[in-house]
Amino acid sequence: MAAALELRGVGVRFGTFDAVDGVSLSVHAGEVVGLIGPNGAGKTVTFNVITGLQPPTRGQVLLGGVDVTKTAAHTRTAMGLARTFQVVQLFAGMSVLENLMVAAHRFTHAGVVTDALRLPGRRRSLDSARERASAVLAFLGLAHLADVEVSSLPVGQARLVELARALCLKPKVLLLDEPASGLDPVETHDFVALLAEVRATLGCAMLLVEHDMGVVMPLCDHLVVMNFGRVLAEGTPTEVRDDPEVKTAYLGAAV
Amino acid sequence: MKLYIALALTGLPIGAMYALQALGIVIVYKTSRVFNFATGAIGLTCAYAASSLVKHGVPSLVVLPIVVALGVLIGLLMELSVRPVRGTLTRTIVTLGWLLLLQGAVGWQYTAQAGTSEPARLLGQPKTLIHLGILQYGRDQVAVIVIAAALAAGLAFFFRATALGTATRAVSEAPDAARLLGIRVDRVNLVAWGIGGGISGLAGVLITPLLNKLDTTTLVIFTVQALAAALVGRLSSLPLTFAGGIGLGVVQPMVFRFMQVHFPSVRGTDELTALAVVLGALLLFRRGGRRDAASGGLAPVPIRPLPTGRLAAAFTAGVALMWVVPPLVTDDVGNMSRANITQTAVWAMAVLSLVLLVGVVGQVSVCQAVFMGCGAFGTGIAMSHGAPFLLAVVLGALLAAAVAAVVGLPAIRLEPLELAIATLSLAFTADRFLYSWSPFASPDANRPVPRPGFAGLDPGHVATGERNYAWLVVGVFVVACFAVASLRRGRTGAALTALRSSEPATAAMGFSVTSVKLRGFAASGFIAGLAGALYAGLLQGASGAPFDFTRSITLLAYAVIIGVASVPGAFFGGLIVTSSTLTVGATNQVASGRSASLVTALTGLLLIGVLMVAPDGLAGLWSRLLVVVRPEPQEVLL
Repeated sequence: MAAALELRGVGVRFGTFDAVDGVSLSVHAGEVVGLIGPNGAGKTVTFNVITGLQPPTRGQVLLGGVDVTKTAAHTRTAMGLARTFQVVQLFAGMSVLENLMVAAHRFTHAGVVTDALRLPGRRRSLDSARERASAVLAFLGLAHLADVEVSSLPVGQARLVELARALCLKPKVLLLDEPASGLDPVETHDFVALLAEVRATLGCAMLLVEHDMGVVMPLCDHLVVMNFGRVLAEGTPTEVRDDPEVKTAYLGAAV
Repeated sequence: MKLYIALALTGLPIGAMYALQALGIVIVYKTSRVFNFATGAIGLTCAYAASSLVKHGVPSLVVLPIVVALGVLIGLLMELSVRPVRGTLTRTIVTLGWLLLLQGAVGWQYTAQAGTSEPARLLGQPKTLIHLGILQYGRDQVAVIVIAAALAAGLAFFFRATALGTATRAVSEAPDAARLLGIRVDRVNLVAWGIGGGISGLAGVLITPLLNKLDTTTLVIFTVQALAAALVGRLSSLPLTFAGGIGLGVVQPMVFRFMQVHFPSVRGTDELTALAVVLGALLLFRRGGRRDAASGGLAPVPIRPLPTGRLAAAFTAGVALMWVVPPLVTDDVGNMSRANITQTAVWAMAVLSLVLLVGVVGQVSVCQAVFMGCGAFGTGIAMSHGAPFLLAVVLGALLAAAVAAVVGLPAIRLEPLELAIATLSLAFTADRFLYSWSPFASPDANRPVPRPGFAGLDPGHVATGERNYAWLVVGVFVVACFAVASLRRGRTGAALTALRSSEPATAAMGFSVTSVKLRGFAASGFIAGLAGALYAGLLQGASGAPFDFTRSITLLAYAVIIGVASVPGAFFGGLIVTSSTLTVGATNQVASGRSASLVTALTGLLLIGVLMVAPDGLAGLWSRLLVVVRPEPQEVLL
C-alpha cells in the first residue's frame, strides 16, 4: 500500500544555498513521524514543500501515491492533507465553532448564488458544517468553547482549537508544526495524550515538526533528524536518541 | 516602417512627461508605501494656476517656481493628512480624496471662466529647432525631455548617494527600525511627499502646452499612464520608471496609428495601451515575493460587521419608509419624486456593491461606475437583439460581473492595493474608450433602453409607469441588501471572513484564495451592473456620462464615508448621491458644471477628514454613539 505521505529526494535551493538537500521520507496511515533537528536544519522549508507553500527545486511530493508536487495548496487539502501552524492562525473575529465551520465547509457545496439568494442548499451547507464542527468539538471535549471568540483564547486552548479545525477536514495526513510551542509542561502532557487518542481513533498519518523531546519521544513511531538540509539519521526514537552523530548535532547541543 | 519610427519620435516629449508623473508616484511610494493617485490632479492644479498667473501678466520665469512650490505645498499637506491614518491601503484612499478635492476645486474655480483655458507656455512658443526627416521638434519639446531626464538622473543620484536618500530607503524598508536608529521618519516622509508633489506639479505645467489644451479631466486621466510607467519601474527603480514613461510615450502614437488604420472604431488607444501595460505589469508583478504586512488589507475596518444594532436598523428602515412610501402609494405626487426614489435605490445599490467588496471581501475597487456602465450598455445591447427588458437587465449585470472577473484576475491574487491600481486604470480607460466605442456604446454613444411600463403591476394606472418602475427598483435593492447579508453569513462569507484574517490558513482549509476573492469581486460587479442597468431603464437610455471616473471615485468615497461594513448604510450612500445630483440640477452630468465640481471637492474633503478622524466611517461613529447610550451588548442583525 502506498504511503499516505512520501517525499522523494526533495531539494529547495535559495540562490546558491541548499535549504533542503535531497530529503526523502514516508509516513504511513496510523503512523506518527517526528521531524526534528536544530534551528536552520530545513524542517520548516520541508514542511512548506509538503503543504504546497514552497515549490521544491527538485524531487517529488506524493499523497497516497499520487504526485502532488505541482498541485496548489488548497487542492492538497482536498486530497486529505491538513495542517496546524507554528504561530496559531485562527480566524480572528469568529467564534470557535465558526472557525471549525470554515474547515467543515470543505464538504459542503453552496456557491455565491445559493448563499445570496438563500436557496435550499444554503441551509443544508450551514447545517452540515455546523454538525461536523460540533461533533469534532465534542470529540475533543471542547464543546463548552463553541461560542467563544477565538482572539480571547489562551494559547493552549487556541492550539487545541486549531487541531480541532484541522480534524474537521477529515485528514488522511495531519501535519503539526511545533504543536507544543508556547505550552507549559502540564498543557504539553495533556496535548500529547490527546494526540495519542486522536491517532488511535482516527488512524490518520501524522508528521510533526517539534523541538520538545517530551512530545516527540512518547508519541512518535519513527523519527527523522535533519541537519543542514539533509537527513542526518532516522529510526525509532530510541535508536535516534542513542545515535552518536545525532547527539553531537542536536541533542548534544540541546541537552 | 519609416512612418512608425517618425511616429515613435513624436511621442518622446509626452513620454518624458509620463515619466515625470510616474517619478512623482514612485518617490512617494518608495518612502511611505503610499500610492499617490492624486499625482495627475496635482499637475492639473498647478497647470491651471500657471495659466491663471500668466493671464494676469506674471512673467514666465516667476510663474515656474511659484507653481512648483504650489505642487510641493500640496505634497506636504498630503503627507500631513495621511500621517494619522493607519494602513497603506487606507492612506492610498486618502490620496483619492485629494484627487477629488483638487479636481473639484479647480473645476469650481475655473469652469465659470470663459471657455477652455489657454495653457501657460512657460518654455516659450514652439519654435522649430531640430529637423529629423519629416519630423520637427519645438524648443519647448526638447526642453521638456531635457528637464525630465535631468530630474530623473538627479533623483536617482539623490537616493543612491546622499544621507537623506539612504534614510529614505531605510524608512521604506523598516520604518520602526529606522526610527530607533534616530532617523526622523516623519521628516523623511515629508521630504519625499514634497519632492513628489513638486514633480507632479511640474509635469502638469509642462505637459499642457504639448497637449495644446487645458481641461479638468485630461490631466487627471494621465494618471493611468503614470501608473503604467511606475509599475514598469516595479515601483522602486527610478531609471526603469523613466524608461517606462518614455517607452509608453513612444509606443502610444504607433498604437494609435495602427488602430486608426485597422480598427477605426476604437477611441482612447493611449489609455488602452496604458491599461494593457498596467494589467500586464501586475500579472508579472510579485514584488520580490515579499509581502508588506502593513498593506494586507483595509486595516482599520473591523472584520466583524459593525454593530448595526436593531436600533440603527430600525432607524434606517423608518427613514426609508417615510421617504419611499408616500410617493409610491399616493397618486398626487409628481413623477419627478418617483424618479428620485428610483435614483436613490440605484445609487444605494451601487454603494451596496462596495459594501460587499470592501466590507466583506476586503478589497477596494475604484471602478464600480464602470461596472454600472457595463450593466447599462449591456442591457441596451441585449435589448437591441430583442431580449425583453428584465432578461436584458440580468444579462447586463452578468456582463459587468464578467468584466470584473477579467480585470480582477491579474490583480486580485496580489494585495488589495494592486486591485485598486487596476480598477482605477480601468475607470480612466473606460471614459476614453469604452463609452465611445461604437460596437459597445453605439455610434452616438447613447443606447436606447426602452423600458416597459409594467402596467400589469398596477392595473388601471397604465400612465404611471414611473411608479411601477420605482417599486421594481426599490424591490430589487431590498433583495440585494438581503442577498449581501445572506452571502456574508453563508459558506462563501465564512471563507471571505477567514481570508481577511489569514490567507495561508484559509488555503489550508481547502479554499482557493484567488477563486474566493474573485467570486466576491464578480458578485460585487454583478450588483453594480444591476444598478447601472436599472439606471439605464430609468433614463430609458444608456450613456457614459453618469459613469465617469469621478463617479467611480465618489462612490467609493461615499461607501467609506458612510462606513464600508454597513449594509443599511448603503441606503444613506444612495441618498447622498441623489441629493448631490439634485443640488446640481442635471441628473446625468457628474464632473461638469460649477456646483457639481463643488460637490466633488467637498466629497474629497469629507473623505480625507473621515479617514483621519473615524476610519470606520459615519456608521462606525454612529454605532459607537449608540454603544455609549446603550451599553448592553446588542445582537448583530445583519
